[in-house]
This record gives sequence, structure tokens and C-alpha cells, in this order.
Amino acid sequence: MTILDHIRSGKRGVLVMGSHTAIVQSMLDFDFLSSKTPSVIALVGGNRKAQKYFWGTGEILIPCYKSINAIPVSLKKEIFWMLNLQSGRRAFESSIAFFESFPDALGGSIFAENVPERHAIELIQRFGSRKFIAGPASVGLLVPGSLKLGAIGGVDLFQVKAASLATPGSVAVGSTSGGMTNELIRAVVAAGKRVSFAAAVGGDRFPIASLTELFTLAEADAATKAFVYFGELGGADEYEIIELIKAEKFTKPLVAYIGGVIDEAFDEHVQFGHAKALVRQEDESARAKRVALRAAGVAAPETFPEFLEALKKLSHEAINDTVMDIKPLMNRQKSILSTREITNVEDMPGKKGSADSFVTVALGALLGRKIQSPVTKELAEEIFTLLIDHGGHVSGAVNTMITARAGKDLVSSLASGLLTIGPRFGGAVNAAALAWLSGVTDKKDASAFVAEWNKAGEPIPGIGHKKYRVGLPDPRVASLAKFAKRMKKHPHYDFARAVEAVTTGKNGSLILNIDGVLAALLLDTLAECEGLKEAELKELADAEFFNAFFVIPRTVGFIAHFIEQKKNDEGLFRLPDELLFVRGKPSSKKGA
Amino acid sequence: MSRIKITEYRAKKLILGDAYQGISFTEGKTALPKTGRFVVKVDQGIKKRFKQGLVVLDVPAKDIATVAVPWKKAGFTGFIAEPMLPHEAAEEQYLSLERVRSGIRVLHAREGGVDIEAHPEKVKSYLIDPARPQDVPGIPADFLRHLLDVFEKNFFAFLEINPLVVRGNEVHLLDAAALVDSAGAFFVNGAWSEEDVVTTQAKHPVEKRVAALQKTTPASLKITVMNPNGSLFFLLSGGGGSIVIADEAALKGMGKDIGNYGEYSGGPTREETHLYTREVLSLVLASKAQRKALIIAGGVANFTDIKATFAGIIDALTESAEKLRTAGVKVFVRRGGPNEAAGLAHMREYLEGARLLGSIHGSDVPLTMAVDEAINFVRP
Repeated sequence: MTILDHIRSGKRGVLVMGSHTAIVQSMLDFDFLSSKTPSVIALVGGNRKAQKYFWGTGEILIPCYKSINAIPVSLKKEIFWMLNLQSGRRAFESSIAFFESFPDALGGSIFAENVPERHAIELIQRFGSRKFIAGPASVGLLVPGSLKLGAIGGVDLFQVKAASLATPGSVAVGSTSGGMTNELIRAVVAAGKRVSFAAAVGGDRFPIASLTELFTLAEADAATKAFVYFGELGGADEYEIIELIKAEKFTKPLVAYIGGVIDEAFDEHVQFGHAKALVRQEDESARAKRVALRAAGVAAPETFPEFLEALKKLSHEAINDTVMDIKPLMNRQKSILSTREITNVEDMPGKKGSADSFVTVALGALLGRKIQSPVTKELAEEIFTLLIDHGGHVSGAVNTMITARAGKDLVSSLASGLLTIGPRFGGAVNAAALAWLSGVTDKKDASAFVAEWNKAGEPIPGIGHKKYRVGLPDPRVASLAKFAKRMKKHPHYDFARAVEAVTTGKNGSLILNIDGVLAALLLDTLAECEGLKEAELKELADAEFFNAFFVIPRTVGFIAHFIEQKKNDEGLFRLPDELLFVRGKPSSKKGA
Repeated sequence: MSRIKITEYRAKKLILGDAYQGISFTEGKTALPKTGRFVVKVDQGIKKRFKQGLVVLDVPAKDIATVAVPWKKAGFTGFIAEPMLPHEAAEEQYLSLERVRSGIRVLHAREGGVDIEAHPEKVKSYLIDPARPQDVPGIPADFLRHLLDVFEKNFFAFLEINPLVVRGNEVHLLDAAALVDSAGAFFVNGAWSEEDVVTTQAKHPVEKRVAALQKTTPASLKITVMNPNGSLFFLLSGGGGSIVIADEAALKGMGKDIGNYGEYSGGPTREETHLYTREVLSLVLASKAQRKALIIAGGVANFTDIKATFAGIIDALTESAEKLRTAGVKVFVRRGGPNEAAGLAHMREYLEGARLLGSIHGSDVPLTMAVDEAINFVRP
């Protein structure tokens, strides 16, 4: 089975490395017009988590990752191809990283033009025999109706339509030149035929996939009945083709144009566009290659118009064009915000008689999925209940009340309270979740973990309390801790407790606090009871999801404090003088 | 992406380090040695220097500057002086290294010198994996290993040492020529740089100006003036398509009538395209040919925006429209790619309004259509 058969049977998922939105969009348009699923599975590079592209007239978000290692396993399974759009400075290292991470990948394409020869040769030695890698300096690989890996075939909708790229055909197109690959694709279509596959191996001196590999692939491909080739003066590639023909390893009809007889009009040899177009020996001239190809029985006409005529004479099978309607796709307007439907009106209580409580529905809305397990529901219920209020002394409640007393409205007073939430008050839940996640993911030892935080001079989030200590436990923590017993595994909770054992060994007040325990239990519950993967938990923590468990119930508490203040209406609040320490009072000045 | 020549001075400095005693001098400001005898050479990557009289042997220190005077008059600017090494002709060996697909090809001959090319049968060929170097009989193993290391580390593509004199473990590089990989510049940490690259001298003022423009952009802007009084002038968008279009002119017997060859490619901006086009138009206007045509042509681009590049061309055409009209110049266009319809419509509207239109086509006609029509127009 050739790579082309694999592509046609669905192994078409691509990881795009580097950024070139027009190329990525053209691949998705090709997929859409070919009635396929999106081939671009993920992007690597940039600081965003997703990039938005058109999918037909609608839009899709393609996930972005900072590095290959960050791609979740579930997506990795769908990736078979690399499209490397990074610069020549980075293409080598990133290509190696790709094939090391994706040992089962089928191949890729490298777009950069300035990849050093030494790097290309190392890629040939490491992966050349096992993968089909077009480039460096390649516009890509195209299998009509199945996969457009790169800019090949053009990047605007008119080009995709004009070249009938959704229709599989029987003529293979190959060239060192990217521009000529596209020109030949169009020439094949203009001659009333369709393309079986097309590839530009790139104009560099050492293409990773050589012409030999390209022609061997065309020979093995049952769909390919003939080959159309463009070559240039310089290099000895065409002699490789002749060797294949002589050895009967390439037996299909071949029409070739070798450019560069213009060189004979120059006094000195001119460096043409491509690296190997610097003629140094007579047998690398366009003239000599044409003669040698003809001697091997190849149609290698003298002029380009004659070449187009020879192309027309190739036989082909009946064409049944896939209809491509690009009109609806023409004036697409990009949205500027992406969102999902947070709650489904169909699921509202009363309509279907849903028995879920507010807390369960709220949690489902935050997660973007329906809550499955009673354990999760009960835990959320308990957390929300526990965190509604913790007395009028705490800073957020104080701020709410002071604002209410200043005569402000509900939203202003509530905002004043909410804006107090931060690293020292209520806002450490998320930081604790990140800490426990890193501990469990990296299989850290609790002592080493504590030493790391100490070294950085930072307090560990979720550890320590002003009032409670060893021997005087926080009743809320004890109450939540019972949930651990209802799960089979609770690695985050165990890790948090192990950390507590280390820290309380030093200082009795450094106990696992309410933020720490609820972060740990939420992580364990979401993982075991709701089936969230580690990467998904990390994504939630990166989006500050866990702080919502404090913000939502405490909003209720703040509003309750507000209402009470309004009812009492004690007037403007002012700190009594004796409770205020003022530094540098005029009376205390000496000798001024 | 391409192999470029560096000076002999830099190549030897990279190989020998501080042990290299050659002196590079250009405008005569470099302090030259007071004593000793020297070999003085033009150091501008010229082949067959010796046969062209660009090498003088056994020059006393006081005469170094004098030797270079006629070379300077002939337009040469870079020279080196190296301590003379008296040796027998029989000691001269040939050694070259070239990067090939499967490793480094080493060619070695026990007899070197200027006539090596006449005796290919004396050359032995070795294919060496730089990670596991094998020995080459006649070359000290340490030296060969060091040479391979320098070759790899500095992204060399080709190195020729001819003649090479070996005395026991002592090695003398009499003449050396090196090609480096231009794409390696970023990775060599300044071991060689733009300053060490030997450039073929731009002969025509237009070539000089385009070369200066090229230095300011990541796009590719190239031009070679072929016949200043030609009748066919090209604005080509690069790659294989450009070669096919120029081929067509040559195959129709118009090779000698081609005024220029070159390319604007790699995504030049509107302004860069404007400046490049201005230079081509200056050639068109300066040509004394009776009938002249400008051919704006290229293949079906994969990703270059046709509308944007054509806008820059129109900017330049606008500046010289009156003169071009007076000279009877017509413009012939064939181009395809992203934004093709809008770009072509814009160009057609402009050329018709300026009365410069020869013909204009998109990707629905063969690549060679515009050049064929231009040839029919200029042919007497």
C-alpha cells in the first residue's frame, strides 16, 4: 500500500508547524469542497490556544500548541503528516522533533527555502528512506479529492476550482519547481485530464524525497497512468529518471519539459532561481538532458507549446467531476468572537422535567458538558454551600459592606467585594489546582516539591491558615475530605496531603486549607467521575476555572451582606481615629 | 539555498586559524610586511588565476604593492600576500571535498597543480561519512579529520586545495578555493559572513542598483543585462516559469534580442516591485532597438498575490508612461495566481488608459503566450 493509498483511505490528518494563514485556509477549503473532514488537526507555534478558520461558510477553531509535546494524545492519533512552514533557521530542528514524536507519521513537506544543505542531508539520513518528505523549498503534496498538503495548487478558491482539485484523476505531476508544479496541474486540467497526485520536491540541491522516490511512487500508484514532469538545467536528477526507465522501474508514459536552453544565450552561466541551476558541467545543461531523455524513449519536446500538445495526447479515463460551488464561500465574513451555547434551552427545567439542581447545571455550563456522576454533583453542592459566606470579617465582605454604606447600588457593592478576591483572599483555589497538577503530572516527591517552592521564596498555594492549625483543624476541610473516600483513586488529594505532612513538620499552621483541599478534590473528581484527561484539567486551570468555585457562592454571600447593610442603613462608614495608625503626623515631627 | 564563494583568505583562516600567515589587502591601507618573499594573488574567487596572470610568485616584500597595481587598474579589488614556500613540483598534490547526497566526496591525486583537469585518471575518489572518517592514503589523518570538522562546522559545500604540499605531518595549503552554503550563514556564528563572500562584479549600473536593492529585502530581486540594445525586456516572477518564458524567446531565434533576465519573487512589497520595475524600464528606454516590448510574465503562482505585485509595477509604469508611449513600447502580460482576476483587471485598465497595451492574459492561456505575442510585435 503506497502513501497515496493511505491518504485516499483517510490517513490525512496534518500538524501544521509555523504560521501561514492563507495556506492553512486553502487546505481547509480544499477539504470542504472535496466533502472531507478538516485535514488540519492542530497547529504548533504562536501563543494562542486556537486559531479560527472558515469551514465552508461557517467557522471552526483549530487548536494551537506551543510545542509538539503539548499536543494531547487523543489528537496525536489523528496526525499522519507534517506541514512545516517555519523558516530555514528552525525547519531542521522542528522536523526532527516532529518525526521523533510521530514515529508512525507517513511524511511531510518543508516549505522554507533557506534550509542548509547539511541539514537536508541529515534529514535524508535519518528519515529519508522511511518517510515521504517533500522539500526543502517545496510547495507540498497534493492528492486531488483527498489531501492538499501545503500551498500546492494555489491558495485562493478560484484556483482550487479552476484546477478541479476535488476530482481524482490519472496523470501524476512532478517538478523541482513549485510554480511549475502549479502550472502543470493547470495544464493537465486544460488538456481535459485530471491529476492523480502532484508533488514539488523543491529546487534545492538535496531534496529529501528525491525524484527517484517520486517516480517510484508514481509507478506503484495504480491510479496513475502517466507522468508529466518539469525539470531545469543543472543537477543530475533527470539521469536518475533515465536509470529508472532503463531498469524498467518506471514504465508509465512520461512527458517532460527541461527548461534552460536560454543559458546558451549567455556569455557566462547565470544563477537562475534555484540552487542547483548553476551549470558547471556540460551534461547538466538543458540540451543534454533533453537528448538523454529522448534516447530513453521519453517525450521531451523542444518547446513548451509542443510539450503542452504532447500532454494532450496522453490517454485518460472518463472524468466525473465533483461539483464545486465556491459562490457561497466568496464573501465570507469572519466573526470576531467565538463562543458556544452555554445552556441548552431544551434542557431547561419544566420543558423536560430535568431534576438537576442549579449547582449541577451551573457546573455543567462551566465545563461545557453534562455532569454524570452523583459524587461530582454532591461535591459541587457541598463546596457551593460551604463557600457562601465565612463571616463579616473577611476582606471581601468588609469591602461590600463599606461600599453599601457609602450609598452605592447592588452591582457596585458586589463588584467592590468581588474585586477583593485574589491571591490572599479566595483566589488561591486555581493556583492550588495548578500546583497539585504539576506535582502529579511530573510525579514529584512532596519534599522536593516543598523545597522548590521554598527556594523560590513563594508560599505554596492551598497551604496555611491564619486561624486554624494542627490540633485545631478547619471543620470545612474535614467535611470535604470525606469525598476522597468515595473515589477509587485520588492522586491530587494524596499529593496535597503529602505536601501538608512536610509543611506541618516545620510549622503547625501550614495545614492544607480550604482552597487547597477543594482544588485537589475537584481535580480527582473531574478526572475519575467525569473522565477529564490531564490535558483537559490543565486547560481548565489555565483558564482559571477553579476560582469560579469561590466566586459563584461567595457572590451570594456578598449580596446577602449588601442587603443587610441596606436594611440597617447605618450611614457612611468611617474608621474611628484610634484604629488608624498615621505615620509622620505633624505633631510628632522633631526639630523641623 | 545556494553555494557561494568566499575569499581564499577567509577559507585558509578558517582551516589554519592563527597559523595562517597570509595578509589580505585591498586599497593599499593595510600594513604590508617589510621582509621576506611572498606569493601575491588576486583573491576574488577567479578560476585559473595562474593562467590569467593573476598570481605572481617569489615577490620581495617591498614589491608587494607594486605587483598589485596593474590588477587594480583592471578593476580587481581584493588581494592576498602569502609567505613563499619553496618546493618541488613533484611535491604538489590535489585535494577536494564536496558535499554530496550520501556524505562528503573527497578527491585526491598525488600529482596536483594547474593541469590536474587534464589528468582525471590520476584522481582517486572517496565517499566519507564525516561522523566516521576513513583515511585517505597520502593525507595525514589528523589533518583530514580537522579539515572535515572545519568543513562541517562552517557549512562548507565545496573546498579545493590545489596544490597541497605534504611533508611528513606538516601540511601546506598553497592555493585554496571554497564554496559555502549561503543558508548556513545564520548557524556559523560569524565564522564567515557577508564580507567574506566573493561577488561577481556588477557590470551595468542597473545591475549595481538592483544588487543594492536586494540587500534591503528578504524578497528575491535579480537582474542581468544581456543586450543593452535588445528588443525584449522581461519582468519575470521567478522560478521555473521564468526559465520557460526565456527559453521560448531563445527557441524562436530571439536569444540575442533579449535585453535582460532576472526575477522579482519571494513576496516583494508594492514599493520594492515599484523600484525594481523602474530599473527594468530604464533599460527599455535606453535600448536603441527599433521596436521594443516589455513582457510581464510568470507561471500560476501558488501564494504570491497578483493584485499586490501588479500595483507596484503600475506605479513604475505611471512614472515613465509618456516616454514609453513615445518610444512605441507595448506591454504583454501573462500571469496567474491568487487574486488573479482583480490584478489582471487593474493592469488591463491601466495599460489601455495609458495606450501601452500589447496583450494581457491570465492562467487560462499557455505560459508562453505573452512572449510569443511580444516576439511577433518586435520582429521586423
